[in-house]
Formats: sequence, structure tokens, C-alpha cells
Amino acid sequence: MASSVCTQAKRLPPCRTACPAHVNVQGYVSLIQRGKFKEAVELIRKDMPFPAICGRVCFSPCEDACARLNLDQAVAIRALKRIVADIEREQGRVKPEPIPKTRTEKVAIIGAGPAGLAGAYDLAKLGYPVTVFERMLEPGGMMFYAIPSFRLEKFVVANEIAYIKDIGVEIKTGMEFGKDVTLERLRNEGYEAVFISIGTQVSRRMNVPGEDLEGVVRGLKFLRAFSLGQHIDVGEKVAVIGGGNSAIDAARTAKRLGAEKVMVLYRRTRNEMPALPHEVEAAEKEGVAFHFLVSPKRIIGENGKVKAVECLRMRLGEPDSSGRRRPIPISFSEHQYEVDLVIPAIGQIPEGSCVPNEFLDEEAKVALIPVDPVTMKTRIPGVFAGGDIVSGQASIIQAVGAGKQAAVSIHRYLTGQDLKAGREEAEETTWVKDWEILKKKSRRYEAPTEKTRLSFEEAERFLKETKRKAMFEAFRCIGCGPCSECLAGIDLCEEDKAVVDESRCTGCNTCAIVCPVGAIEKNEEEIAQVNEDLCKGCGICAARCPERAIAMKQLTDENILSCALAAIRRGELT
Amino acid sequence: MNPKNLRIVCFMCNWVFCDEKESPVSQESQILFDANIVRVMCIGRVDPIIILETFEKGADGVLLIGCTPPDCHFIEGNLYAERSVVLLKKLLALAGLDPERLELRWSSPNEETSFDQILTDFAVQMQKVGVSPLSGESPNEQVLLNVLAAKNAAANFRLRVLAGRERELTENTNVYGEKISQEEFNALTDEVVKAEVIRQKIHILTRQKPLSVKDLAAIIQMKPHSVLRHIVDMRRKGMIGLDRVEGTTPLYKALEAQ
Repeated sequence: MASSVCTQAKRLPPCRTACPAHVNVQGYVSLIQRGKFKEAVELIRKDMPFPAICGRVCFSPCEDACARLNLDQAVAIRALKRIVADIEREQGRVKPEPIPKTRTEKVAIIGAGPAGLAGAYDLAKLGYPVTVFERMLEPGGMMFYAIPSFRLEKFVVANEIAYIKDIGVEIKTGMEFGKDVTLERLRNEGYEAVFISIGTQVSRRMNVPGEDLEGVVRGLKFLRAFSLGQHIDVGEKVAVIGGGNSAIDAARTAKRLGAEKVMVLYRRTRNEMPALPHEVEAAEKEGVAFHFLVSPKRIIGENGKVKAVECLRMRLGEPDSSGRRRPIPISFSEHQYEVDLVIPAIGQIPEGSCVPNEFLDEEAKVALIPVDPVTMKTRIPGVFAGGDIVSGQASIIQAVGAGKQAAVSIHRYLTGQDLKAGREEAEETTWVKDWEILKKKSRRYEAPTEKTRLSFEEAERFLKETKRKAMFEAFRCIGCGPCSECLAGIDLCEEDKAVVDESRCTGCNTCAIVCPVGAIEKNEEEIAQVNEDLCKGCGICAARCPERAIAMKQLTDENILSCALAAIRRGELT
Repeated sequence: MNPKNLRIVCFMCNWVFCDEKESPVSQESQILFDANIVRVMCIGRVDPIIILETFEKGADGVLLIGCTPPDCHFIEGNLYAERSVVLLKKLLALAGLDPERLELRWSSPNEETSFDQILTDFAVQMQKVGVSPLSGESPNEQVLLNVLAAKNAAANFRLRVLAGRERELTENTNVYGEKISQEEFNALTDEVVKAEVIRQKIHILTRQKPLSVKDLAAIIQMKPHSVLRHIVDMRRKGMIGLDRVEGTTPLYKALEAQ
């Protein structure tokens, strides 16, 4: 009766579609439901190599897309991922076998950030000999050098990178692109494809007077120094300029380094902040002050050192190209904040010297590499690029997604396939079309609160204690995708469907009343019809049909009965 | 009574947790009996007919394990199962089987009782109840007839439509805007269950050979006039027909096409 391997889904659940790396969320959540934590991590690793990292700092687009939001709160997907990854690390990760190099074409990857490592990981799994070149001494890119350790511990990054090394990816650190490695040299050394993922290395300048005074440390430099454990004198009062995650990270770091007063100056309001809401809340709890609708006009120095920031008040105007309301300065609203340290963190740009000119558009203002958005192909054959260096500053999971796409392209390029064929967005689907039915039927959790998802701390507290809690949280997943492809040999597959025997159906409507998802409708002849897209195969209707006109395709009544009778016979043997 | 000798069938929801165990069967050592577990998609999937047939084939006890409300992967399949069990217990009692033989338990990671505990509790309960009169080589014929009748009753439109509509009728209003109270509904089901079991019994008996009201009353142990009333109803429904008249006594025979 049990189907041990699920069918391959043609359509994907919304969480998986929303994830730039298309991680099989529903699959690992359903494994967690069954307490299969190890298998859950392995399933995540099928799609991407950073379960613990993403479990901590991902901006979780999956949770925003979660179908459960229609009912109450999204499933705490990120927290679940963190839990399974942490449990695995605590229990001691089994060292994976190196994947045999079945291919001869050498691939070079430049930059050991999330994009480069994800690409290397996927290519190594396909059997390519992959070498990653990294300028810094430690691989990991921004995951290692920018995200402060109170959000993402260094040993977590090191552990995930160790896994990538274990499966056979070679990482060469201390190799700078354009200096120690060039495209020409790589070609001469026999590399047949190159993936450039060098990221954006420098914080954007504010272009205000006084920016080069002593006491102005740009966001990335500040965070990098903190990550390297260098001594930073933050003084008493710190102003962080910007509203992104780097800004919040810098503010929280400054607070930890002993600054008495830390303020974040942002030119729009809280609603327009790109930073993760729970990070902002955490910063506020730690005593970071937020000043909204202010923009620095100049930095005032005294004896070459920063003394104060002069700001202008702003008001919000019409929405701009990013969809956020444009800040407009209010004249004569200058006011000053006395500070010892200014940390501008208003975005990142690539380090111009790193990128060879042959890639760049001449008219482009920023040195981002233009690529084909689907295939990641640059204008030089055999060279692909992805991650921040293409998109501008983005998130880890977006970089991972880019790395995966590049790996697909490189594989196709090296095997002579069409790069573009069949690479379209997967269709997003949920089995619940009419949420009103579910809402009416569901009398479980309380009405949605203002927050649409659990904050990090809440989720942590909620999930950290026990595995059981994690399983319970995973249980909230309603499994809205047609099949989770968890390939775990689970007992029963949700691909079962109800079938109506039309000659027996009297159109009494009982099935439609009991169906949890509204998959049963009646046709013109008042005969029940099963919508197979929606049917989840629960069989509740089959057990209640007064005329016994509904049967299940796979788990029929006879199947259940024969199992029960076999159980009785087993009982007789003992 | 060693519970190891009892034949216990456990229907379990596919979504019920059992910690990190691959399958609860692998943990037999801690449990008093061999849990013969049949996984179903949702505990609401288990048709009452299946449970009655399991008893008919000689199971000593049936344990259903579902997810603690308000959680159900299929929204409220567990609540339907709960109603089914109430009905089944009524049928079992009428059939002369101890309703204790059937048990529905909830399991949830939020609860203290472990999965093993649920199985152990049921084993203790079953030790008290003992072996089913239907198990072994020579099942009790009277009880067998009763269980068969109960099974047919559970397959009958009248009971099934009541069971399927119970939550709709008692929690919402019907098409006329009336709301039926739970008490009213229970009284109604009691009546229907009793009547249906008797009618199914008459049907089974008269299928074997034509019988008179007097014969039937003796076998079912009821007053002849009550039996006659059911027969009148059954004739109207086409369940039974007049076979022949012996002297002044009419003999009835079951009709197959109901």
C-alpha cells in the first residue's frame, strides 16, 4: 500500500518558488514533522550548502510566501532550518565522502562568497574539478567578514565551508583577482569555464563635505575590522548612517564595542527601511536610537577629527523607481548631532580595480558586470558572473540562487547544451484555492497578530528548547504544494486522489461538506466531481459518503482492511 | 491475560509524531503488546465499516491514534473521527461487544503522554476486557450476527448521512436555518442506530431462509410486535418481501436490491 518514492512534482509550493535558491522547503519541513532531522539537513544540502548560515541570517522570502499566512502566521521556516542544522553540528557532522571527479573540464570560481561557493558546490556534485580563488585569508566572503559574529558565528561559517571542501572543492585563499589570478592565466592553466562572483567590496560614499575626516569609518570596513578582531575606538557617541542590514549590524556592533550612545540616521521612515524588522527591533532593545527623516549634509570636524554631523530634515514625496517614497529635504532645517564616530552604511559598490574593463558597459556608472539574467553569461565566452557583482548588494540566498544558476549554465556550456532551454520560472501553486473555506473551518490558532511571522528571538525561544517543539512547528505546515518530493520513503504519499463512482452518487453534498480543501464540486447533473489539483488524498470524504460512491485511488478501503487483517494475523502468530 | 496474546490493531494517522522512531513497531520491547500499526492518511479516513470488519474478523481491540485537536493536517479530520468513534461505540454496545475495545487517543508533541504510554494504557485496558468472543476457531454466533448487522448498518445510507452531516447539522444550521442541538441529534442517532441494527439483523436472518415474525422475535429476543413494526418499515423500503404463508403465518424473505 505504501508508495516508497514520491512522484516528481511538476509544480512547486510557494515557499520553494519564492526562495531564490529554490530550496525544497516543504520537503524538509515534512521530514522535520516526522522527526527525521538528519534527513532534513541532507535534503537542504541537496539544494544549497548553507543550512546553518541561512537558518540564521536569511531574510526568508519563503516565510513571506508561506500559504499559512492566509490562516494565521507563517511557519517559522528559517528557525526550523537553523534547528536541524545546529542539531547536526552539535551531534557531530559525519564527514561526507569526496565526490569522484568524473569530468575533466576544470572550472575556476573567483570569490569564495555565497554565490561562488554555492556554484562550486553544485559543480563539484556534477563531478567537475572546481577551484575557488579567494582574495582574503578566510573563505566565506561577506558571511565571514561582514556579518558580525553575534548574528552569525564564525564557526558556523567555517563548518559549512568545511563541508564544501570535504566533497572535493579546492579553495585557494590569498589570491586576488586581477593580480594573482587573471582570466588569461586561468585560460593558460587549462580552466575551461570561469565564474566571477567577487561581490561588492566597498561602502558607497555619501558625497558630503568632511567625509574623509578621521573618525569616519565606512560600514563594511568597520564590520570587517570587527570580524577580524581588530581594535576599534568607537568613542562615546556613534552615528550610523543608512537603514539597511549593514547599518543595523554596524550600530549593534558599535554598542557592543562600548559606545554609550549609538544612533541610526535614516532619511526615510521605519516603513521604508530595507533592514529586517526583527533586527531593527533587536537593535532598539539593545538601546540603539533611531532618527528617521534625517540626512547628513556635512560632517563637521575639529582638528581633523569628527565633531558633529549636520543633518537636514526630510519629508517623503512621491514613490521613486524602487517603489519607496522619495525623501525630499526641508530647507533651513539644519541641526547637528555631536558624535565621535560616523559610520556611513548606505550601500555597497564593487571595487572598481577588481573588475576587468572588458566586461563593463562604458556608459554604466557603477562597475557591475552586465550578464544575461537567465544564464549568467557575460560577453566573454566561457565566463559567467553572478552574485552582488551583477545585482548590486543583495542577500546571501539571492547570491546562492545566482551561483546555482551559473553552475547549471557552466554545466550546459561544457557539455555543449543550449544554455537557455527550459529555464523558466517554476509554476507556483497551493492546493488551497479558497482560503475562506479553510478560515471558516479552521478554529485552531488565534486570529493573526500584527506580526506576520515569529521574530528571530521568539522563534529561537520557541524552537530551541526541544526537537518536539520543532516538530510541532513543522506540523503547522499545511503542505500546500502537491508533492514535497522529500524522497524519504514516507509511509503515505499525498498524491492519492479521490474518485467518484458517478453511477452511485446521489448528489447529497456530504463529501463537499467534509472536504477540508473544497476540492469537490457538483456538475450540472448534481454529480460530485473531484478537482484533482486540490485533492490531497486525505480520504475523509470516502469514509463519509452515504452511498459509498467515493473511493481512493491508492489507499483504498480494501488496502486498509487487508493491512488490518494482516495485523490480526500477525497477532495470532505471537 | 498476557496482552501479548491479544490481537490489537492500531490505526494511526500518517501525521502523528512518534519521535525519531522510524516506525513505532520497532520499539516493541517497551510496549506490552505488538502494536500492529496501520498507517492511514488521516484518522478521519478510517471508515466505520473497516473498524467493524476488523472486529468481525477477530480483533480483540482497535486503537485509533490521531492528532490532538485543533491540529489536523486536513483541518478537522480528527474531529470527524471523534464523531465516528462515538457512533461506533454505540454500535459495538448494541452488538454485544464491550465499547472499551475501541479507543481513540490523541497524540501531540505538546502533550506529556508519550506514544509508548498510549499503547501501554490501551494494553492495560484490553487486559481487563480480555479476548473477543469473535476471535479463535469458533466465534460466538449471536455476537457475530450482531457485528455483521452493525457493519451493514454502518454501510447504510441512513446512518452514514447522519454521521457525515453531524457536524454540519449541530454546529451550523441546515438549509431551513434551523440548528439542531447536540442532545436532539444524539437522541435521533440513538434511535436510528437501534432501528438500523435490528433491521439489518432481520435482513441477514431472512436472507438465509424465510422466517416468520415469531421466529425472528425469538432469535433477536424482542417482542413480536416490535419486530412486526420493523418489518412493515422494511417492506416499504423494499428490504424484505413476503415469501409465502404457512397456515396463517406469513414468512418473510430478504430482498437483495435495497
